[in-house]
Amino acid sequence: MPGGIVFEFPDQYLFPSGLWITIQLSVLSLLGSLVLGTLIAVLRVSPLAPLRWIGAGYVEFFRNTPLLVQLFFLYFATPYVGIYLGTPETFAFNAALLGLALYHAAYVGEVVRGGLIGVEHGQIEAARSLGLSYLQTLRFVQLPQTFRSVVPPLGNIAIALVKNSSLAATIGVAEVLFAGEIVESRTFRADEAYGSVALLYLVLTIPMGIGVNWLERRLVVAR
Amino acid sequence: MRSHWVRLGAIALAALFVAAACGGAGTGGTTAAPSASAAAKPKFELSSFMYAIQTKGKLRLGTRDDNVPFGLKNPATGKFEGFDVDIARELAKGIFGANVNPDDVIEYVSVVSATRIPTLKDNRADLVIATFTINGDRKKQIDFSDVYFKTGQKIMVKKDNTSIKEVADLNGKNVCSGKGSTSETNIRAKAPQANLNLQDTYPPCLILLQQGRVDAISTDETILFGLVKQDPNTKIVGAYFSEEPYGIGFAKGKVGFAEWMNAELKKMVDDGRWAKIYKQWITPVSGDEKKNPEGK
Repeated sequence: MPGGIVFEFPDQYLFPSGLWITIQLSVLSLLGSLVLGTLIAVLRVSPLAPLRWIGAGYVEFFRNTPLLVQLFFLYFATPYVGIYLGTPETFAFNAALLGLALYHAAYVGEVVRGGLIGVEHGQIEAARSLGLSYLQTLRFVQLPQTFRSVVPPLGNIAIALVKNSSLAATIGVAEVLFAGEIVESRTFRADEAYGSVALLYLVLTIPMGIGVNWLERRLVVAR
Repeated sequence: MRSHWVRLGAIALAALFVAAACGGAGTGGTTAAPSASAAAKPKFELSSFMYAIQTKGKLRLGTRDDNVPFGLKNPATGKFEGFDVDIARELAKGIFGANVNPDDVIEYVSVVSATRIPTLKDNRADLVIATFTINGDRKKQIDFSDVYFKTGQKIMVKKDNTSIKEVADLNGKNVCSGKGSTSETNIRAKAPQANLNLQDTYPPCLILLQQGRVDAISTDETILFGLVKQDPNTKIVGAYFSEEPYGIGFAKGKVGFAEWMNAELKKMVDDGRWAKIYKQWITPVSGDEKKNPEGK
C-alpha cells in the first residue's frame, strides 16, 4: 500500500518525527519572514532614501541568490567568521530556520510593499491632515488594509516555504525528506519512500491552500 | 556509364574485404604493428554483457569523485584517479583490449553512498566501484563481484581528543557519517546513544570535525585514511568494529558478467597488478603492503 512504509519504521529518525520537524521549521521561519518582511517593506516605502536603499539591497541580495547556497553558507561557513548558530545539536535546525526566514522575508517584503503602495493616496493625505504622524498613518491606515489585500500572495509564499524547507535535509536537519532518504537507503524502496514524502507534503500544503482561499473570501466580503 | 560506377563500387567493396581479412589475420598471432589494437580485442559470447559493452564501445563506471584514495576527480587535471578507478581501468582493458587507453572507453558517472544502487537499477552505469560494501540487503537489489578490497569501520577524532577510544565511547557524542551508508547503520547498532550528523559525502564531515561541531567521524578505515591525510591534526583510534568487504556492483541479469569479472580480479591478484595498485594508492596512507584483498 503506498504510504504504508510511513508506519513501518517506528524509530526516532523517521517519518512522524520528520513531519513534526518540518512543521516546526515551517511555522517558525514563516513567522520570522512575516515580521522581517514587513519591516523590509516599511523601509522600502520610507521617505528617507538611505532606508529605501537598505530595503532594496536586502531584497535584491536574498531574492537573487539560491536558497541552497544561503543554507550551505549558514551551515558550513558561519563558524569561519566566528558566528555559532547554537550548539552542535541545534546548529543545523537554527541555520535552516534562519535561512528560510531571511530568504522568504525578501518575497514577503515585496508583497507587503505592493500592498502599501496600493492604498489610495487620498486616504494617507486625509490621515495626515487629521493630525496623524507618518508612523501612525502607517500603523493605523496603511498596514491594516495592506494585510487584507496581501493574504493570497502571502499564502503562496507560505506554501512555497513549506516545500523549500525540504532543502534543510541537505544540511542534515532530520525533517521529512531526510526521513525519506534514510528509509530509502535502508529498504531500497525509492518509489514508496519518496512517494510517502510527497504525500506528507500534500497533507501540509493542501489544507494551507484551502485556508488561504477561505480567508480571501471572508476578507473580500468584509470589504 | 552506369556499369562504370558498378565496377568502381565492386572494387571498393573488394578492397574493404581484403582489409578486413588482413585485420582478421592479425588475430592469428603475427605481430603486424598497425592492427595490434584490433588484434588484442578479446572475444566474448554474443549473449554476454561483456559483448554488449564491447559493441557499445563504452563502459559506464559509477564511482565517487571525492573519496581519496579510492575514487577522486583530481581538481587539477579533471581526471578520475584512485584505487577503485584503477581496478576499473584494468577491467576496461579486459573488455576492450590491453592496448586501448582505458580513459577513452570509460564514461565516468559520479555517485555518492545513497545513489549507488539507484544508479545501477536505473541503468545509468554498467558497474559501480565505489567502496561498496557487500551485504545481504543490497544483494537483494543488485549483484556483486567477489571481494576486491577488505577493510573495517574505525573512528577518527582530533589529535588532542582523549575521551574517545572505542565505539562505545561514541554514546552521547556528536558523530558524523554518511547518510544511507553501512557506517551509519553500524553506529546506530553499536552506539545507540550517539548523536548522528549525517552528510552526503565525507569532506563536510571533516569540516565539521575541524570546527569542533562533531566529536568524531566514523566510517571505513580506508576512507578515514584519506581524511587524515588532508588534516594531519587528526588521528584514527580504536579497533575495527565491523568488517567491510568491498565488491563491484552491477545490475541483476547481466549474463556472464560476474564469472568474467571474478576471473579478471583473480588474474589481477595473480599477476601482481592488484598489489601494484594497492601500493600506489593505499600504501601511502596505510603504510602496509598487500598482495591480495585478504592480506595474506
